Amino acid sequence: MSLVNLAHVCSHLNNATKARLGITSIPNTKLHLKLCLALQNDGLISSVVRGGLTAPPTHPLLGTPMPNDEVEKVEPVTQSNVASRRLWLGLKYWQSESVMGKLSLVSKPTRRVTIDVQGLRRVVRGERSETVEGLRNPGELLYLSTDRGVLEARECVEKKLGGLILCRVR
Amino acid sequence: MSLARPARCLFCSFSRAASAAPRVPRRQFHASPLQLNDNKPKVPEMPVPVPDAKAVEAKTSEVQTSEVKTLRQIYEEMKPEDFKPYTEEEKAVLKEHYSPEQIAAIEAGEAAIDPKDLAEQFHFRRNPMQIKYLDDFSVIEPVVDHHVRGAKSNSDYNAKLKSEEDFVEDFAEYFDKMPEDADAAHWVRFLETTRMTLGKEESELDPHSALVPDIFEHGESLERIGQPPPKRIMVRNRMGELEEQKPEEIPEVDERLYKLTGYSRQYISSLYIKTLVSRRVSNQTRLGKIPSVSILAISGNRDGMLGMGIGKSQEATDAIQQAKARAIMNMTHVPRYEGRTIFGDVEGKVGATELKIMQRPPGFGLRCQHLIFEMCRAAGIHDIAARISRARNPMNTAKAAYEALMSQRNPEDIARARGKKIVDVRGVYYSGRSLPRAADK
Repeated sequence: MSLVNLAHVCSHLNNATKARLGITSIPNTKLHLKLCLALQNDGLISSVVRGGLTAPPTHPLLGTPMPNDEVEKVEPVTQSNVASRRLWLGLKYWQSESVMGKLSLVSKPTRRVTIDVQGLRRVVRGERSETVEGLRNPGELLYLSTDRGVLEARECVEKKLGGLILCRVR
Repeated sequence: MSLARPARCLFCSFSRAASAAPRVPRRQFHASPLQLNDNKPKVPEMPVPVPDAKAVEAKTSEVQTSEVKTLRQIYEEMKPEDFKPYTEEEKAVLKEHYSPEQIAAIEAGEAAIDPKDLAEQFHFRRNPMQIKYLDDFSVIEPVVDHHVRGAKSNSDYNAKLKSEEDFVEDFAEYFDKMPEDADAAHWVRFLETTRMTLGKEESELDPHSALVPDIFEHGESLERIGQPPPKRIMVRNRMGELEEQKPEEIPEVDERLYKLTGYSRQYISSLYIKTLVSRRVSNQTRLGKIPSVSILAISGNRDGMLGMGIGKSQEATDAIQQAKARAIMNMTHVPRYEGRTIFGDVEGKVGATELKIMQRPPGFGLRCQHLIFEMCRAAGIHDIAARISRARNPMNTAKAAYEALMSQRNPEDIARARGKKIVDVRGVYYSGRSLPRAADK
């Protein structure tokens, strides 16, 4: 579980949204995939497709990568092509602003930050817990890597889970 | 005009009714002015004819017989029976002179006073305030009374002067109708009543003239001749004295501002406007330094609107005016959470000035630097904390705070963008009812 790669992903997504790209790709790892699915679940990105080095077929109207195109099916992952797989993300914009604000890493490659449920409760309420700042802005999200996959902080509190804090979305 | 006619007020020729009898010119043997009415008060003990019925309101048969009595005799012999209600004949006579409403008022007045009281309390005034003469107030006396201008409808633009033939006809008619025993008064009456013009009678007797008696009466202007003067509104000044309210002059600059912004004068006067930063700046030219003043002003309605403007001029007052006008023109809406604080923590950066404005719970107050305090006050924000890192240049601080306040994100927009539902947990806590706004408290 490389946080270095995750840091690169965060920066890349920030750059891509600043450049107002509609579609971008990140390296394919299990952690990235789980995080992207969590982001998609919260409505920050429109689609996640595991494709090859070239962009998968896009939706004719939305312009986002489609996992279930009828004409051009997504190439299944095999042992031979898994190394060349990438995650293709459809980025969202609303009123000429990026839906996903700034992504920033909380745990650093040299210092991992874990948090328990009590601390997470404080954070969700907007208070500071040790080094972790509270979620004080409207729509601010915090993603954690837990036993049950990558979850948002509020979900973790609901499920009474602690874990490793990955990144924060403003 | 006939020379036989006595000299009268040149403008006011309407008071012919003032003299019932024709004024026959008599030869004067002394230089003192001719006194037509004897204005001296009558000596009470002298036998006098009973005063005018109108003055006394006595309509007794005794008085009408008009035996010569002294005032004292009248005064002493007054009985309640003297005050009788109007007879039918008298009422018929009254009807000729008064409208039904006026007669009703007269009758109501008669009924209101007990004849017994009248008889007991009647007396002639002897106090210093008594009126020294008996006069007919129904007639306008040209010298004594205030002049009244003839109505516009009196004018007859087609009136013509009578020709010689017309006068000959008049004379012929006069001699035709002349009684056997004609005297000088008859001749004078003819001269006085003979008209000089053909057309409306009022046009000759009482024409409308803008010259009567002054060019304008009090409160009149060229646009409103003959109309009542406008109402004077009295207001108390700062010293507590009553004085007339003068219509305020609206400067041209303000007038333009109302047009540009579309705000009413009342609304703009209700705004919270303040100059936050003022500094002297100078432009270096080959002729030397040209100093001027730079002003930063803010304006707000204390309920969610905030604007900022900068004005520069060589005159400080001009710069202030510019800055304030621009601040009003730039006013925009500032999002506020519950009408008291901001949505989330926001950051602003201008130059080397970086600051962070943080939302706070109700009752926290404005714990921030004075410039940010004034801006929050103008915008109607009550709970806030702010921290300025790095440079604290006043002008940049104000600009950065404005930028930060304007960079708030609206939760509803976020929800729409993400396709998710966002619920304000604070609002839901009280069974879904929204909290009373700070402004409503």
